[in-house]
Amino acid sequence: MVPDDMNSQTSVEQRIANVQSADSAEALLSAVEHLAAAKHPSATACLLEILGFNNPGAAVAAVDGLIAIGEPAVEPILASLGTNNYGARAWSVRALAGIADPRGLEVLERALATDIGPSVRRAAASGLGRLDLRSLPDEQASGLVERCLQALLLACGDGEWIVRYAVVVGLEGLALQQAERISDLSVEALRHALAGLAAGSDPLTPVVVQRRSALALHRIDHSAGPHG
Amino acid sequence: MSAPSSTTIEMADPIDEAEALRRLRATDDPSAQYYAAWWLGRHRSQHPDTLPLLLAAMRQRRARQLGDGVEENAVARNATRAVGKLGPSASEAIPVLLELLDDPDYGLREAAARSLGELKATVALPALVARLRSGPNVAGARASDSANLVEPCEALLEAIGDLGSSDEEVIGVLESFLAHERPVVQCSACRSLLQLTQEPRWGERLKTLLLHPQLQVRRAALMDLGATGWRPATQAIAATLAENSLKLIALRGLVESAPSDGLDEEIFDVMDGLL
Repeated sequence: MVPDDMNSQTSVEQRIANVQSADSAEALLSAVEHLAAAKHPSATACLLEILGFNNPGAAVAAVDGLIAIGEPAVEPILASLGTNNYGARAWSVRALAGIADPRGLEVLERALATDIGPSVRRAAASGLGRLDLRSLPDEQASGLVERCLQALLLACGDGEWIVRYAVVVGLEGLALQQAERISDLSVEALRHALAGLAAGSDPLTPVVVQRRSALALHRIDHSAGPHG
Repeated sequence: MSAPSSTTIEMADPIDEAEALRRLRATDDPSAQYYAAWWLGRHRSQHPDTLPLLLAAMRQRRARQLGDGVEENAVARNATRAVGKLGPSASEAIPVLLELLDDPDYGLREAAARSLGELKATVALPALVARLRSGPNVAGARASDSANLVEPCEALLEAIGDLGSSDEEVIGVLESFLAHERPVVQCSACRSLLQLTQEPRWGERLKTLLLHPQLQVRRAALMDLGATGWRPATQAIAATLAENSLKLIALRGLVESAPSDGLDEEIFDVMDGLL
């Protein structure tokens, strides 16, 4: 069991030890939450291991912890993808989407296009709309924005409503955050896709997706960007 | 309401409308029919052959057999669920659904009640109320031979809420189920009372059920709040200890169940944060 007096002063090593000695699902969840709250890079390996435990509650907490660690967790996550089981890879995609580091782009592209889990595709789509490209030179950043846009446009016809919803959110993110990096032609394609979803011409596009698309177009029209 | 199950099955077997109709005709292959009926409902097929084939399938009876992989009367149950998804074009199915409300098969009664609600078949209100009138201790008692209740109470209660018309007797029957021993049945009663009366106290009671120690109850309360479109529940839904997938479905319900003149930015911002 996790001791009651555990607080922010507890060392990361101690928190990892508590995860490893947890003897029930409840104790594990509590220990993972405490480890995640440390937001310390040395927790990365242990958090990654938890993703493979087939314990959704603990995995959610571990993903939150990896996102909180941020940039230093990216390489370890990418390195783990080749060896982990499907469940762990799915959670890793969600962590990469949350961290928003451009090194996760390829994984997010592939997940959105091919993953069998709607919750994984949904996380990938929203992640593709909010990659943090500020550290990159302009030309490279523009190229990556174009790749994100193409991946999202291809997923507009996804069979699951929540993935379409996430695609709309991703497209809105690109249009609002990366406006200066998108070509006029691509802006046109983006608006066309949102207008199509807003019109609900496909019976698999429910009202909620139509209305979220309309909101995205509204926000894009009222933004101060060069295309606004 | 029970939480929805995954529909990833579709990805494993993508078919088109013509193929679904062909499979539904294949009465010697219940598994193929079962999937086809589901497919036609999910895609809200408006093909002229769809409704007649589903109506025929609703009358198929078949005990569960070894190696079927599907439940008793599975094709009829799925066809009954499917007609509820077809919208106004399926009004022809309403008399058959009313018959099924009296079927000895619990699962068929349950599916028929749900579809009558979805089709807004107000003509069904007296029959739905009649099956619940004996109250939580009779209609809501545990069945002797299964984990079910005597009547499919959740489906019946929710269908009554869907129909939108109410009088004192209807409200009285719904209120009697607030005392049911199963919290998920209480959820269904609150949901319909909120839909029919718009009184916030029923929404507040569902919000309390979002905090229930059992995940199954929290899930039911999520789905029921979504179905009512009661927007004051937005933040409580977001804060519930349950899967994001279900919270997103509940929030979708808030947006779709009650029309709004606004942009619903509060709900959409919450949804965006759960992706």
